[in-house]
Amino acid sequence: MSDRRARSLRDRIEGRLLTALALLTSVVLVVAFYYPVGTVLIEAVVVDGVATLGVFVELVRDPFYFGELARLFAGESPLAVARALLGPERRLGIVGFTAYQAALSTLASVALGLPAAYLLARFEFPGRRTLRSLTIVPFVLPSIMVAVGFVATFGTNGTLNSLLSALGLPPVDLLFSLQAIVIAHAFYNAPLVARVTTAAWESVDARAVETARSLGAGPVRAFVDVVAPQVYPAVLTGAALTFVFTFGTFPIVLALGGFELATVEVFVYRLVRDLNYAEAAALAIVELVISLGVLLAYLRYEANHTVSARGARPLPRKSLLPSAATARELLPRAGLAAYVVVAATLFLAPIASMILASVTGGDGALTLEHYRFLLDRQRTGAAFQVRPWPAIRNSLAFASAATLIALPMGVVVAVLTTRRYRGRTLVDAAAMAPLAVSGIIVGLGLLRGLVFGVEIAGWRIAASGAVAIVVAHAVAGYPFVVRTVAPGLEGLDRSLIESARALGASRARVIRDVELPLVWPGVVAGAAFAFAISVGEFTATVVLATGTDAYTMPVAIERFIGRRLGPATAMGVVLLVVTGLSFVVIDRLGGESRGL
Amino acid sequence: MTADTDATRETDPSARRADRRAERSTRRRFLSLGGTAGVLALAGCSAERTGDGGDGGDDGSDGSADSGGSDGESDSADDDGGDETPTLTVATYSSFIDAPSVSPGEWLKDTFESRVDAELEWVTPDNELNYYIERAASGVSVDADLYVGLTTEDLVRVDDQLDDDLFAERGDVAGFDDVRDGLRFDPFDRAVPFDTGYVSLVYDGTVTEAPETFEGLLADEHGGALIAQNPGGSSTGRSFLLHTIHRFGDGGVASDGGGETVAGTDDDPDYDYLDYWADLQANDVRVLGSWEDAYTAWSNGEAPIVVSYSTDQVFAADAGEDLQQHQIRFLNDQAYATPEGMAVFADADEPELAREFMSFMLEPEVQGEIAQRNVAFPATDTATLPEEYAELAKEPDEPVTFTYDELQGSVSEWIEAWERQYAGN
Repeated sequence: MSDRRARSLRDRIEGRLLTALALLTSVVLVVAFYYPVGTVLIEAVVVDGVATLGVFVELVRDPFYFGELARLFAGESPLAVARALLGPERRLGIVGFTAYQAALSTLASVALGLPAAYLLARFEFPGRRTLRSLTIVPFVLPSIMVAVGFVATFGTNGTLNSLLSALGLPPVDLLFSLQAIVIAHAFYNAPLVARVTTAAWESVDARAVETARSLGAGPVRAFVDVVAPQVYPAVLTGAALTFVFTFGTFPIVLALGGFELATVEVFVYRLVRDLNYAEAAALAIVELVISLGVLLAYLRYEANHTVSARGARPLPRKSLLPSAATARELLPRAGLAAYVVVAATLFLAPIASMILASVTGGDGALTLEHYRFLLDRQRTGAAFQVRPWPAIRNSLAFASAATLIALPMGVVVAVLTTRRYRGRTLVDAAAMAPLAVSGIIVGLGLLRGLVFGVEIAGWRIAASGAVAIVVAHAVAGYPFVVRTVAPGLEGLDRSLIESARALGASRARVIRDVELPLVWPGVVAGAAFAFAISVGEFTATVVLATGTDAYTMPVAIERFIGRRLGPATAMGVVLLVVTGLSFVVIDRLGGESRGL
Repeated sequence: MTADTDATRETDPSARRADRRAERSTRRRFLSLGGTAGVLALAGCSAERTGDGGDGGDDGSDGSADSGGSDGESDSADDDGGDETPTLTVATYSSFIDAPSVSPGEWLKDTFESRVDAELEWVTPDNELNYYIERAASGVSVDADLYVGLTTEDLVRVDDQLDDDLFAERGDVAGFDDVRDGLRFDPFDRAVPFDTGYVSLVYDGTVTEAPETFEGLLADEHGGALIAQNPGGSSTGRSFLLHTIHRFGDGGVASDGGGETVAGTDDDPDYDYLDYWADLQANDVRVLGSWEDAYTAWSNGEAPIVVSYSTDQVFAADAGEDLQQHQIRFLNDQAYATPEGMAVFADADEPELAREFMSFMLEPEVQGEIAQRNVAFPATDTATLPEEYAELAKEPDEPVTFTYDELQGSVSEWIEAWERQYAGN
């Protein structure tokens, strides 16, 4: 009797858990994102206390930003504009160019990320799990480190050109061009595509493939009909996220391209620096609309193209060594070998250059002086100076805490956005907005909304320091959890959930015991991304750490940038090692699979 | 506050200054901190009782000593009530106290504290002066006594954005008479210059010989040779752009923003800075983002000439590098001067202590130390500097710079016009 009562109480609590978590998530989003960002964006439409659309009208009619499209907004006939767009003299405008380079960067990232996913998901080799864990390391590197690595690798006197000339080949002139930007964006984002795709591929149920094969489908047919539809959404996830990130790209464009290739965010930065908030906010809204548009278009596609899956007994991995000398065995492996050469050049060489720069002195000789600097600064640095160890400690603590908050937030939102109901698009858009708002605007908003706080009934409520940083990081990272978990949830066979419910399990229980285990690789990937976002985050951290010792590794790197980049690169290598180890630990903690 | 920008841009600058002063007396701070009633120490969250519209610093012209003082007395917990050592809170940019090589912060703190019975606290908000402009505009107390590292442009921006004064009048600062002519950049006598730098070309003498004039940079032999920085994001880049405007004139760009037209010194009224930059761009100049971007690219041999500071050899000698690879060139024997100043916040808690600190900063020995540790030049002509410093830190025959009045209403227009020409996609 009492047993049953206890159970019904637990059921009730579990039943409410989901609602409570959803409420809590909304509160966190409003406090640490919507309200702060709103204080800035409103300036685009309220000028001098008067509501106006004037700033927008001027902006969209400005050919500098909108190119030929501006003429459309200015009232010219669509036909004339279309003709101009097809003409040789067409102007894209800053917004158009930003979208163009983001599209190219997305293509490059997908092209470079997919083979890595194939390798990691389908083959077995020593060090595979560690390699999979390390794939997202580039994701956390500060842009100045990437710039150092790229100049040293692809520059006029870089490693690549030395290699080419040693082979008797002509040098390549890669730097300060659109190509350099696209490659740098791929450096950051191909790992993202690879990681989410690997997670999805590992969730493909082997039984489905076996069934297809037993029904007479060839390997290609089985791949196209069974595997591809389940991997496809993840590839699109990676592509959509890459587009959004590279659309809001900023320092790397100027470091490796130059001002001819300036993107929208460059202007947002300048306008905010000059305190021209109306125009900055208007531009940021334009960015937001385009980025959200892409995300929503993708979400719509995802919702309409899911394939039901019943479980996750992963496909058996193949050996890297061909089992027979047939074309079908040799060809994929030869392709992968070629890919590994390209990947080594694009991903490993810049990182190796970065490490080399950290042990190279002003005279070009090898030295440990930059690491000695870190030790000296740790020992003798003044209390008001940034020291390496607190930076490492804070980074790890913030990232761990942010991940633990981002996971339940992301899972709850993923559950809510994979149900079918009216207004779901709105919830989707609201949940994904943290990915799409300009980082510069978020920073300014956090300063106003949290550091300065709000006045309520004669009290000024403000928040800064460690807890605020953790929450801000969780908000920035949780959309990744949503995006790595939701596609799997969407594809789950509803009958599994319905039968569990029919047997009396609460909604929360079904999620915990049935749904999450089935999409576990996605959960682990989401955790890794949430962690990575926190470790790499800079703007929100410096804004919220004002006046406290809550600085992190990217802040230390920025502080250690001097005339020579040695000390900063040494700190960059510390970041590389610490986060690399963390990713390995996260993946080990997460386990290979909790599949049935 | 920010909303004022566009509306006032139309008006005459002098009228706007008058406006600002008139408004100051009528406008009340939206709210002010009248003593901390309580602090919710819960996890970085704080709640403070805001004032009921009292005079917690609504007017800066009287130095706000009284309002600040009463503030300090009412909250005894974390502030200096009574006989305790007062704390001077000095805001500055981060490399002033925390650069990987040298920075003056620690020496200044130790020396000042050894002389004066006070504690010096450095604060370095990431967005520097804009952080305090934001605070003032949002009606939050400024919480610092002094700002170190003001530029002419900063003052123009402050005065454009805020109706109330952010800074107090200079007041009595010993040694101010020693400040060199041409460095006193604040027409309203708030900022006290403490050092200056010069933006010049740095080139690798083993690869090229930099031209002696602006026109020389357009020669074929210097095609692709120069790396500069984005004037919208980097102060070095901005200084170089301003130097080209000083040389070639602005072609009337500034008059659109209510600024004064600059004629230039090149005797050609039809050739302005935009024409020069079009020619530079045609000669394959690189405009990268930050000074670090540019200097990294230059150090790796991407191009032999970079826009940087005339103190480059001080660092190079320090690092044991070949000085032949670190040559300085002053185009037309000129360089753009970037004087840095300090000023007391209008609602400082310790305005007199802040002025004592400013006097301290101008002492001959301190001036010499600041120059060496900040790798810059002293603001006074009485500074004591070792002789070899002058051999490495080069000064131009003719420093040039724009005044407050010349920059007001102009600098944004100049940069925007340049952006629109240079990045036309």
